[in-house]
Amino acid sequence: MTKAAATQFPGVEIRPIAKVQEAAAHSALLDVAWSFSPRVENTAADTVLVDLSGLTTLLGSYDNIATTIVSKCSEVGLTVQVAVSANVETARVVARALPGATVIPQGHEAQYLETLPVTMLSLSQELFEVFERWGVKTCKALASLPVISLSECVGQEGVRLHAIASGKGIRSLVVAELAHSFEESLELDDAVEELEPLSFLLGRLLDQLCVRLVARSLAIRAIHLQFELEPAFEDAFDSTIEFVRTRQLSGAYACTLELPVPSRDSKLLLKLVRLRLQSTLPKAPIQKIHLTAEPAHTRVTQGGLFVPEVPDPEKLELTIARIANVVGENNVGSPQLVDSHRPDSFRMQRFSVPSTPSPILETKSETKIAFRAYRPPVLAKIKLRGARPIHADFLGRSGDVIHASGPWRTSGDWWEDDPWQQDAWDLELAFLHETPPAQGLYRICFDSRQKKWFVQGAYD
Amino acid sequence: MYIELHARSAFSFLEGASTPEDLTRAAAIHDMPSIALLDRDGLYGSPRFYLAAQKLKLTAHIGVEITSTTGGRYPLLAASRQGYQNLCRLITCMKMRAKKGEGAVAADELRDANQGLICLTGGDEGPLAYALKTGGVKNGEKCLRELSSIFGKENVYVELQRHFSLQEERRNQAAIELARRLHLPLLATNGVCHAFPDDREILDVFCCIRHHRVLANAGRLLSYNSERYLKSSTQMCALFADLPEAIANTEELASRLKFTLSDLGYQFPVYPTPNKESQISFLRARTLEGMLHRYGTGNEKAEQQILHELSVVEKLDLAGYFLIVWDMVRFCREKNILVQGRGSAANSAVCYALGITAVDPVGMNLLFERFLSDQRGEWPDIDLDLPSGDQRERAIQYVYERYGKLGAAMTANVITYRGRSAAREIGKVLSFDPETLNRLASLVSAWEYTDSKDTLTRQFRDAGLDLQQHRIRKFFELCQKVQDLPRHLGQHSGGMVVCQGQLDSVVPLEPASMPGRVVVQWDKEDCADMGIVKIDLLGLGMMAVLEDTIRLIRDHNREEIDLGHLPANDEKVYSTLQRADTIGMFQVESRAQMSCLPRLKPKCFYDIVVQVAIIRPGPIVGKMVHPYLARRQGREPAESLHPSLESTLSRTLGVPLFQEQLLRIAMIAAGFSGGEAEELRRAFGFKRSEARMKEVEIKLRRGMEANGITGETQDKIVHSITAFALYGFPESHAASFALIAYASAFMKCHYLPAFTTAILNNQPMGFYQPATLIKDAQRHGLRFKPIDVTTSGWDCTMEPGTQDFCVRIGLRYVKGLRKEIALQLIEQRSARAFNSIDDLKYAVPQIRKDELRVLAAVGALNFISGKKGFNRRDALWQVERSSRPSGPLLEGDVSVEIETEIDSNLELPVPSTPMSSPLTPMNHHERLNADFRGTGLSLGLHPMARHRRELNQQGISPASHLAAFPDGKFVKVAGSVIVRQRPGTAKGFVFLSLEDETGIANIIITPHLFEKKHTTIVHHSFLLITGTLQNQDGVISVKAGNVEPFLAAIADLKSHDFH
Repeated sequence: MTKAAATQFPGVEIRPIAKVQEAAAHSALLDVAWSFSPRVENTAADTVLVDLSGLTTLLGSYDNIATTIVSKCSEVGLTVQVAVSANVETARVVARALPGATVIPQGHEAQYLETLPVTMLSLSQELFEVFERWGVKTCKALASLPVISLSECVGQEGVRLHAIASGKGIRSLVVAELAHSFEESLELDDAVEELEPLSFLLGRLLDQLCVRLVARSLAIRAIHLQFELEPAFEDAFDSTIEFVRTRQLSGAYACTLELPVPSRDSKLLLKLVRLRLQSTLPKAPIQKIHLTAEPAHTRVTQGGLFVPEVPDPEKLELTIARIANVVGENNVGSPQLVDSHRPDSFRMQRFSVPSTPSPILETKSETKIAFRAYRPPVLAKIKLRGARPIHADFLGRSGDVIHASGPWRTSGDWWEDDPWQQDAWDLELAFLHETPPAQGLYRICFDSRQKKWFVQGAYD
Repeated sequence: MYIELHARSAFSFLEGASTPEDLTRAAAIHDMPSIALLDRDGLYGSPRFYLAAQKLKLTAHIGVEITSTTGGRYPLLAASRQGYQNLCRLITCMKMRAKKGEGAVAADELRDANQGLICLTGGDEGPLAYALKTGGVKNGEKCLRELSSIFGKENVYVELQRHFSLQEERRNQAAIELARRLHLPLLATNGVCHAFPDDREILDVFCCIRHHRVLANAGRLLSYNSERYLKSSTQMCALFADLPEAIANTEELASRLKFTLSDLGYQFPVYPTPNKESQISFLRARTLEGMLHRYGTGNEKAEQQILHELSVVEKLDLAGYFLIVWDMVRFCREKNILVQGRGSAANSAVCYALGITAVDPVGMNLLFERFLSDQRGEWPDIDLDLPSGDQRERAIQYVYERYGKLGAAMTANVITYRGRSAAREIGKVLSFDPETLNRLASLVSAWEYTDSKDTLTRQFRDAGLDLQQHRIRKFFELCQKVQDLPRHLGQHSGGMVVCQGQLDSVVPLEPASMPGRVVVQWDKEDCADMGIVKIDLLGLGMMAVLEDTIRLIRDHNREEIDLGHLPANDEKVYSTLQRADTIGMFQVESRAQMSCLPRLKPKCFYDIVVQVAIIRPGPIVGKMVHPYLARRQGREPAESLHPSLESTLSRTLGVPLFQEQLLRIAMIAAGFSGGEAEELRRAFGFKRSEARMKEVEIKLRRGMEANGITGETQDKIVHSITAFALYGFPESHAASFALIAYASAFMKCHYLPAFTTAILNNQPMGFYQPATLIKDAQRHGLRFKPIDVTTSGWDCTMEPGTQDFCVRIGLRYVKGLRKEIALQLIEQRSARAFNSIDDLKYAVPQIRKDELRVLAAVGALNFISGKKGFNRRDALWQVERSSRPSGPLLEGDVSVEIETEIDSNLELPVPSTPMSSPLTPMNHHERLNADFRGTGLSLGLHPMARHRRELNQQGISPASHLAAFPDGKFVKVAGSVIVRQRPGTAKGFVFLSLEDETGIANIIITPHLFEKKHTTIVHHSFLLITGTLQNQDGVISVKAGNVEPFLAAIADLKSHDFH
């Protein structure tokens, strides 16, 4: 049935697969299993196998153990089906098929399995199709096939399934090892909009991360911060080149905090995160927080006797973050040209020491003059004759145009909210009223949207 | 006076943003006397450019920007016809040797084809800019000297463009200096890429599509300003105030460009007659021979008509054309390829006598002038229907062979930006995320048919989008603007053009993506407009069926059938048609046709012609169907819309049904001339535009008023014309189709086994799935035999049965079985019969496991062992067993054995395994499911037959019983859904065809019920319907009151959905 067809039924609500929640539930299931025995097999996303041998003396009968597992799982919010059997595969198949807790007496495995559909045996798609074509629908039907002929037809996998269906499949557990990932997530019932409550939640997550890292003698090299935002259509547009390249989700906010030196000081980390958020706060309330820490070994340095003292990298990072908070994230760093016809367009990039020295650019012999850009451009009053400038007033100076070259017309970003269109002129100006009379070469432009003239800079 | 001599249109594919029509319109606004179009590597837009200019009384200069192997593009203008021919040949030569969209010409090739061409030095992409950029002034000078040596100094113009760019101006200064040094003339152009300033946005969008970027990251690939529009003389004079000679030279150069497309130099091929006989006398002889054959002696009316037509043909000098079509038809006949002319050619007795068409226009009183008139000055249009597939390809290849690769070509089909796909491309360029893009695309149909802005805003808002938002608004505007701009060039399905001499000197040719095919750069309409004769070679599935049927009858019944001499007025055919027992018959098998047949009750051939034409959107929208049927049944008087139209409409009882009639109506009622009537047909045709339609309507009304036709009658006439023009069927066309319909009905009625075999071998075609065709044939008493690897061929075959022939289903119906494997299997089988599955696998080693599995599942391997009781499950077991490799050791032994055996010419060893299996045989239900899954059909009992007893108990009637019930009776029916339809003309009503073992019940679902039970109706294969029976003039249907899934039968039948 398609999604569209399903929605035709009244009361049907289609929810997306909650992978994060499923993973959390699986972790919880593993936790419960580990609380009973260290020998646990991580069988599937919804199945774990626990070795109960020797536990009866400690926890009572298998019936007792099964019921205890059910109730323990219920405490962490999971409804589970449990089957106890001397045969690992029988326990797995029956647990998946029958509700509640089932204890299968030894030697009666086949009896419990016979009515179950073969699909419960976790078949490959190919074998499922073969059995379907053969009309083999239940475990009993499979178990009744001659095993040697079956192996001739479908190979060892058939033999293995035949054994499982007969309750005779033998294998040992593949004991799982705890994975070490440094991620913390928090899904909020009510979206958070303000920085204070957000800082509180972030602090808690950072504390947890740091504790986990300390236990493993590691520190944080970088933190990836991801927020899922409440859907707000208008904000789904961001067309900066960076964004287009890195866009993952609509309604998502992501930023990365890279540290010059690894740290596990949760307070420092929180301060940096706060400063970053202050300057670029998400545009919509936050529904979900996801923190990923990139671990690294802690810094071990020995200051040299003859090496000049440099500022503490952690403090320097904090200082830069504070400056960025004042002047804006986009105004700190080193400038980089942007691929655009828009005059004087550039963006700021984080300071970084290049690993290789930049090649020395050969200066072309033709280039005789340099251009000194005024940022921001200086407002000017221009007198025109026809369409050509003849006189310019700016910065308290007043000059007659000796020579004008232009207009050089550019326009663009028509699809954005702030398109531009301007006519630029190169002017040779004579400031005759100054003593001594001066001359200069300037680039002026008329901004057609603002209907104003500006001086963009002077040629040295 | 400035004349723009360097403009690109959207036919430069993604490098221009306006249609040729817009460019000419802009030129006319600026009072330019002429304009030149130079598209990139092609003359794709030139016919449209020429025609648009002609209408505006401008001169259209033709040129091309041709890519050079050394970098850059040469802008070349055709000064004379020779120049144009050189251009065509250069492009053809370059295109034929390169991949699609690539190719370049070398300087030497230009040198060989320099006559009549004028070279400009171009703008950013021109050869001079390229030379200056790569090697400075020195290289620039070299470039100009080379161009002068190629084209002659007097034919090279140093082009200057001014778009307010500093870099461009630097280049201009260098160019001026060089021009002065080399004494070359300067020429101002604006390197136009779009007609109006706003179109720059489309140019930017196209730029992104071309470079696979989005606007946000296209950066400096986009235009730096919007100055590449068509500027007025005043603007250009101001820009080049310092260089008045550059402006003056545009006029001087334009006066040198003598060539226009009116001087194309196209000639239709001359038919090589024997003994130097003139074409007309040869044609006359062939026609008179044919006349004797068709009409016998003494048919004066026919003779007179033919002589009249021949005189018109002679007057218009079209004998060659008729002979060439005749030659093609003759080739098809010789090669046993069924062929029949259709379209207006069916109005011609000469065509009938020559065997091109099969409808007797004299007998049917058809209007010859619709086909050919000495006033219209148009080439006649002959379309040939051929069996689809290989036979049609043979006919096409014959034309290539006869006229040479460069003398014949297929016409192109210009694919334009339309609807959702255009919206998606633009949405992507604007960086909308996939979800928003989906929402926007889903709104496309909403805005296409909405004229009120308010509704549109609301529709956008309902989809969660704000039309006030800048980017959404831009998206909307761009989607509107991009509609109908050319996107790429495809190949027309059947249109061919031929030429006396070299077609590549008339229009550039390109290789098509299909191997062995060549395409011209113009589409079908352009070719017609330019006076190039085209012949449509169309593939028709039913022609292939008829051809196969005739062959099968010849092979099995030992009878020779000639379609031209089928018994007319066959009683069985007409009674079958009257009962609407028409599944599988051409043109009369659809649900709508079936519901009309019992009312129309065809009694003669002309009734079939009407039947074919009446169930069309034209008559339906024009509300002609019911009046016609009512008049036919004598319930209404047969009055015409207006007394003056009596003679035109009397044949169709006063109701206009055919396209010819509406043209006549316009001529009689509104005083239109023949040409104006044709113009009207085009205005309402496929390339309709609101403005043009309004214009024609006003003219129509004015004409009628002048003739005293006013008020309701006028409205009625206008309504019928407007509804009709797009979908109305020409009478001659309907007659040709009716002939095929009659032939298919005749074959079905008299040679059911052969016809069914043929139709099953030509699927997919027609209206019904093979499963339905088989069930229908079974109800008519035909027996089918299952697929069997020991006897089945690839195609279905006829086998002798106890009484009549029966049909053996072919291996083509085994889903997933590759044809080459099946053919190999058949070949091996003919050498030696298989005795086991292992044996089969051994003989056909390439056969895959999944192919064997499906063969086993559908029972095709049941007879392989020759043992009784070997069932599908046994076969499935054996297939799994035989598919497992036996291990390298054993394999090694076998191969050694084989080699030894082959060497000694002994029989091959046959590996064997026990043939039994421990599996339970399939029950009926499982077999049915396996059949449908593996072949899409079942030869056994209909799934519903198994349930008949319970159905009877529940009061559910079989479909065949419905006819006996009175109108208005409450009935229950159940069956498998074979067709679901929701025609646009039915105001939301849905029609279902429900099949059970006795026949088909027609169900009508109201829009309200459909909405309520949407999921059930759309997703369930078997339905139980309760409702009231409608029996109107023998047309039986059930108006559903309730729809439930019928869960007892669950085989996965496929239906023909919403077509």
